[in-house]
Amino acid sequence: MSLTFLFRTITRDVAKVSFCQHVQSLHTGCHLLAAEKALLMTLRKSTGYTFTNCKKALEKFDNDMKQAEAWLHEQAQKEGWNKANKLEGRKAKEGLIGLYIGDKAAVMVEVNCETDFVARNEKFQQLVKDVTFTTLAHHQNKNRSKAGYVKSILSGDEVCKLSTDDGASLADCVALTIGRLGENMSVKRAVTLSVPAEWNVSSYVHGGVSGQTDVAMGRYGALVVFQGGKDGEQHTLGRKLGQHIVGEAPLTLGNMDDLPCGESETRLLPQTFLGDPSRTVAEFLRGQQARVLDFVRFQRGEITEDAK
Amino acid sequence: MAALVGLRACFSALQLSSPGLLHSSFKLCAVPLSRRTFAAEAKKVYSRDKPHVNIGTIGHVDHGKTTLTAAITKVLAEAGGANYKKYEDIDNAPEEKARGITINASHVEYTTANRHYAHTDCPGHADYVKNMITGTAQMDGCILVVAGTDGQMPQTREHLLLARQIGVEHVVVFINKADAVEDKEMLELVEIEIRELLTEFGYDGENTPVVIGSALCALENKEPELGVNAVMKLLEVVDNYVPLPKRELEKPFLLPIEGSYSIPGRGTVVSGTLERGIIKKGDDAEFVGHNRNIKSVVTGIEMFHKSLDRAEAGDNLGALIRGIKREDVRRGMVMCKPGSIQPHRKVKAQVYILSKEEGGRHKPFVTNFMPVMFSLTWDMSCRVTLPPEKDMVMPGEDTPLMLTLRQPMILEKGQRFTLRDGNKTIGTGLVTDILPFSDEDAQIRWG
Repeated sequence: MSLTFLFRTITRDVAKVSFCQHVQSLHTGCHLLAAEKALLMTLRKSTGYTFTNCKKALEKFDNDMKQAEAWLHEQAQKEGWNKANKLEGRKAKEGLIGLYIGDKAAVMVEVNCETDFVARNEKFQQLVKDVTFTTLAHHQNKNRSKAGYVKSILSGDEVCKLSTDDGASLADCVALTIGRLGENMSVKRAVTLSVPAEWNVSSYVHGGVSGQTDVAMGRYGALVVFQGGKDGEQHTLGRKLGQHIVGEAPLTLGNMDDLPCGESETRLLPQTFLGDPSRTVAEFLRGQQARVLDFVRFQRGEITEDAK
Repeated sequence: MAALVGLRACFSALQLSSPGLLHSSFKLCAVPLSRRTFAAEAKKVYSRDKPHVNIGTIGHVDHGKTTLTAAITKVLAEAGGANYKKYEDIDNAPEEKARGITINASHVEYTTANRHYAHTDCPGHADYVKNMITGTAQMDGCILVVAGTDGQMPQTREHLLLARQIGVEHVVVFINKADAVEDKEMLELVEIEIRELLTEFGYDGENTPVVIGSALCALENKEPELGVNAVMKLLEVVDNYVPLPKRELEKPFLLPIEGSYSIPGRGTVVSGTLERGIIKKGDDAEFVGHNRNIKSVVTGIEMFHKSLDRAEAGDNLGALIRGIKREDVRRGMVMCKPGSIQPHRKVKAQVYILSKEEGGRHKPFVTNFMPVMFSLTWDMSCRVTLPPEKDMVMPGEDTPLMLTLRQPMILEKGQRFTLRDGNKTIGTGLVTDILPFSDEDAQIRWG
């Protein structure tokens, strides 16, 4: 009798304990999930990768943030390439012209994307900046020994092969940004120049985006190489000329003595000057004792795939 | 006598021939008539029994805006409220020509139980801005589409910035591709994130309706909970959350004057198309514009030589006014409810400058450029002042501008206008703000 009683109490206790444990384990399970969620949120906020990938990363490394982040970066490069291959061929004619003037050297690049929403995004602008500086560095390395006027025009593919400071190629950078922003992008072209000490190079960018300080970006860009000009006024002079080139879209330079032939003039020097319609560019330059030697003008999306 | 006989003969001949003529003419048109019935079937009559609302979609290119639009038409087609448009039909975003301006946009219409919707989708920021300026499809509200798999994209910020810029007050969120997300908690996180972003951009993130679903499921008739039902729920939410725009009839009346005439024995009549509101016989009216301000009373309204008691917005009418000479009012002035509208000389505007292909200038312009501004029935030369961060405006771009008129004219926030230079239309714009006229502006020489 007492034996059966003992047995009963024991089984009841055991049952109680196991029940309690069950409850506890349930509770800890809930707790874990909540923590995971918070982690997922922070990881997503800090890296900006998609929710799906952040979750995968956390699961893979058992909620280790550092490893997960590293894996995400690695994955992003791979996915960027996948995405880039998938999106290839989609029309990309929006984008930005990036322009930078260094010490007697200048660079202008065009990077395209699909919508102007992306062109306004800072991640895309960072890409333009990277492309600009990489191209400039490449130019300076190559032409260090050469003095005098050097102008080189690079196609998009050539630019993509260059590598950035951290060793990745620009094509990788583009792919990474494609993965991030989910739109097709391409580096269209670039031009770099360096001028001798007594020449000036100046620029103008139109339709710009605010917030970028080192590299000027916009829908139109122009580089002008000129000589002379009054001291201290060269900057304003260059800017005025750049503005004229962006606005009037000349195709060739022309001669100082050319006679203007009407509205459809495509030579720079005989064109009516934008800043002062009573004079031609040549007349304006004479007044400033300056001479334009060369210019380059980029307009976003002016070269289409078909034309190529 | 002979003439009389001749006339009779003629008459009888006519009598004889006329049934024949009639018959043959009937025969002639019998064939085209029967053919025409097909055309009549194809072109349905738009019935204005439900209030109309304009909405649009914005979101990342791959997040399924077009699929959602297709799904909406499909779901509503089953209820008889739309024609089903396939993805391919919508996605080709034809280039529209509105007021000579090329806009990339696709328009779809559908009807829910309560409303009639026009649905716009544009690929780029510039297209939405052009849309806003020309007023082809002003958006009363918009659906922000976000994929549940990706969450918001970095450019979602730019999308919301645009919505703010073009004055969209009401945003509804649709979290798409929910079928591709295994873990439902992830969708919650996406939702939390998007609400935070909405709040950051000054929307009511807490109370913005968010619908979770999958447009693809709705198209393929799978998982009705995420598919058809979610789309229905989204439409219901849009019905309830996006308010009806204030209708033109409810506003104080405004009649831009096209001409004034004096009718002997009756008095002076002004004619024009009623822009908004309702005019009734005996209403007080004010005549403003061209530096004049006269008060009077409408003593009669006529439309097509028939007298009316009241006229509504859109009616082309003549109004008989008391005690005013024909010379006192002229084209370009407006007749309005007293005190409802004022003339101004200086405004801020968002302007789209036509590109060369659209028939605009091929050269840029700079500050102090003087085009002629056309709005309502008036035109007046004005002077352009560019915003400080801009040196010039290129054809084909949109820009904010400050415009100073030579003489004060009727201008108000939201009014549309055209800028012309010589014989070319160079741009079209929308007044965004009225600015005070300063002494400095009075110094402008108008040459």
